[in-house]
Amino acid sequence: MDTYVQGILILAGINLMAVLGLSLLTGFTGLFSFGHAGFMAIGGYTAATMTVKFHWPFIPALLMGGLMAALLSVFIGRLTLNLKGDYFCIATLGFGEATRLILDNVQYFGGARGWPGIPNYTTLTNVIFINIIGIIILANLIRSRHGRNMIAVREEELASQIVGINVFKYKMMSLMISASYAGIAGGLMAHYMTFLQPKMFSLIKSTELTIIVIFGGLGSISGSVLGAVVLTALPEVLRSFASWRLVVYGLAVIIIMISRPEGLMGGYEFTPSSMRKLFSRLKKKNITAEGGK
Amino acid sequence: MVQFLQQLINGLSIGSVYALMAVGYSLVYSIMNFSNFAHGGVIMFGAYFGFFFLTLFHFSFPVAFVSAALCTALLAVLIERTAYKPLRERKAPFLYFIICAMGASIFLENLVIAIPAIGPTFRTYPEIFSKEPFHLGLLTIGRLDVLMFIISAVCLALLVYFIDYTKVGKAIQATSYNIKASALMGINTDHIIIIIFALGGLFAGIAGVLFGMKYTVYPQIGMITNKSFIAAVFGGLGSLPGAVIGSILLGIIETFTSGYISSQYRDLIAFVLLIGILVVRPSGLMGKTTEDKA
Amino acid sequence: MEILELKGATKCFGGLTAVGDVNFTVPKGTITGLIGPNGAGKTTIFNLITGVYKVTRGNILFDGKDIANKEPYLIADVGITRTFQNIRLFKKLSVYENILTACHNNAKYNVLDAVLRLPQYKREEKQLKEQAENLMEIMGLKDRRDLVANNLPYGLQRRLEIARALALNPRLLLLDEPAAGMNPDETDQLMHLIFEIRKKFNLSVLIIDHHMDLVMGICEKIMVLNFGCKLAEGTPSEIQNNTKVIEAYLGVEG
Repeated sequence: MDTYVQGILILAGINLMAVLGLSLLTGFTGLFSFGHAGFMAIGGYTAATMTVKFHWPFIPALLMGGLMAALLSVFIGRLTLNLKGDYFCIATLGFGEATRLILDNVQYFGGARGWPGIPNYTTLTNVIFINIIGIIILANLIRSRHGRNMIAVREEELASQIVGINVFKYKMMSLMISASYAGIAGGLMAHYMTFLQPKMFSLIKSTELTIIVIFGGLGSISGSVLGAVVLTALPEVLRSFASWRLVVYGLAVIIIMISRPEGLMGGYEFTPSSMRKLFSRLKKKNITAEGGK
Repeated sequence: MVQFLQQLINGLSIGSVYALMAVGYSLVYSIMNFSNFAHGGVIMFGAYFGFFFLTLFHFSFPVAFVSAALCTALLAVLIERTAYKPLRERKAPFLYFIICAMGASIFLENLVIAIPAIGPTFRTYPEIFSKEPFHLGLLTIGRLDVLMFIISAVCLALLVYFIDYTKVGKAIQATSYNIKASALMGINTDHIIIIIFALGGLFAGIAGVLFGMKYTVYPQIGMITNKSFIAAVFGGLGSLPGAVIGSILLGIIETFTSGYISSQYRDLIAFVLLIGILVVRPSGLMGKTTEDKA
Repeated sequence: MEILELKGATKCFGGLTAVGDVNFTVPKGTITGLIGPNGAGKTTIFNLITGVYKVTRGNILFDGKDIANKEPYLIADVGITRTFQNIRLFKKLSVYENILTACHNNAKYNVLDAVLRLPQYKREEKQLKEQAENLMEIMGLKDRRDLVANNLPYGLQRRLEIARALALNPRLLLLDEPAAGMNPDETDQLMHLIFEIRKKFNLSVLIIDHHMDLVMGICEKIMVLNFGCKLAEGTPSEIQNNTKVIEAYLGVEG
């Protein structure tokens, strides 16, 4: 395959991994995070430390990155998940920016200048492989009682409590899983770019991830996949459009929220059964159309 | 001791500008209960409006100043009408408001970068006030710092007067206390919302121009204005005195951090402070704590 | 035998005493009514029992154990659940999903079982689905299975909320104005439904409502609340003839 196309697909896959996690948190649990780039940074720096300084193999290093991000999310979650309204989202903003600013000052990782020379382990094959696993885990989770409880928390917190759902526990679970996805995405990014710099994980990165989730549709895994691929590839294809990219994104977010807040997929999923239903509906339409003639 | 006083004065001056920005966040929060992240973009536009009025249209300083503030007030209201009003009418969940605010903030910031005539370059305001500082014993105080402090103080005093002693101000207070009940009591809450966005925008413009004069103008000013948002959280979102006190404190803490520790930690301190206050007292220094009614 | 007992339960909001020193009991297996003028503190008592509000003073005993100030989800685990005056469904989920979600505690599989689709997950998930279908059948919601909760007619939304509560297999069900906004016909149906579910699920019911026909018709015991304090307690006929109650509702003559 063309290395250019391959590169775009790898980037899309890395974004997708982080977006899948964020989709669980925002789309399915109703928590808004401004700090997921922070979890990516933790995952990226941890994974790179493991491969570069401790010579671990790639996959365990990635998992370690995910684990570290999850651990940190437990810490953050303990402190802030009980907060009402948008205070949690404000806290994640603080966390994300604080992570970046701390890394700016850690000379062990090259500080603000960055950390070059990370081995190039990320390939299209392992990105696709990891994403498929990520999607399967997420889809299975969503269709279990645990996933349903998260959705219930998104819909109505008080009613969730009344039917015996430990709201805090499920928010925490969602945040942890979400953070570990972001951590793994960070690890993939580090070993694709072969270079890490705190600037890569700024607030803009966090908001970009959120935009993809919203674009694809809150509460839809298929939407997140579609969103990640389209929104990563589009600006690459339309190079001349690059400077207007974020302008359009910002505007698109507003328009989506006003006119179609459920996003592209609107809570629907591409599953074998839903596809069958769709086809049978189309067939029926055809038959009635023909009958009309 | 001299250094201490010097830092204190610098902190007060920057803190007062933060306060101008923070009241915009707090006003909107007090009535609509969400963090209006688009406010940072409005402040940035204020800085640009001021800059272009001065350099391109050669307005005199006071005229440029007032025009910039009026333009941002208009911009803030425009954002409310296009982005938030449809959501309000649909009674959308608050998550949608934050997402919309984020979209607006991304839009504003990148619009400036994308317009070829403006772009990402740093711009410096023309020198309006001489750089020659006042000397007060061993202390040196920049003329601009004094101006910033005075303008901010006057604006905030006017705001307090407006909120506490005018009919509209009282209506704002009532609406922030209970928007539904206020609507039933005959207050046009839609107008109140326009007014608070206009007020927030007005202050954003003033703050933007002052900020641009003190530093430089560039599209990512919004990132710095995030700190005034932190100040608003620090003081207690939705509380005006809280926003002012939080801002002054943040300004002082920042200057002390860069003065006594290292300027590298200046931004970090702000965010650590943010997380700290959220953990210890999420309603901020002066915010109201409420028990949800089921 | 009492399933629920309030002992000097008090709730203050700042200086305002919303519920003051209330003592009363719900005998096991009965339908008990809680009535009183608007603002008397009826819903506040529900909020205290279900842990939505913290009790300022006093005890709340469920089956002899103090449950005051426990987190709401723990109180649901103990076996108390409720409906809300201003219906709180999972609005964007279907009827089926609303009920299925609430069945969650009848399965014990963990996250790993779910992610790997282990046998326990499959087995228990099947049971949950059967339970949900069963509840829809009983509550007469079967033909609206895939309708989004928000699009249900008002009466059925109330029904769905009760169905969702029953999914927990509660021992005490609190109904907050279940007949609000219903016409006499619907109220009548609701009465029968409440009777039926008490029998079928073997539970005790505490009910707040302003429809006196309903309350007098189905309750074995009634407590009257006024200004946060207990005004009277007794059988429907005792309450109907209580002068204090009549005064509170109709005002004093002369």
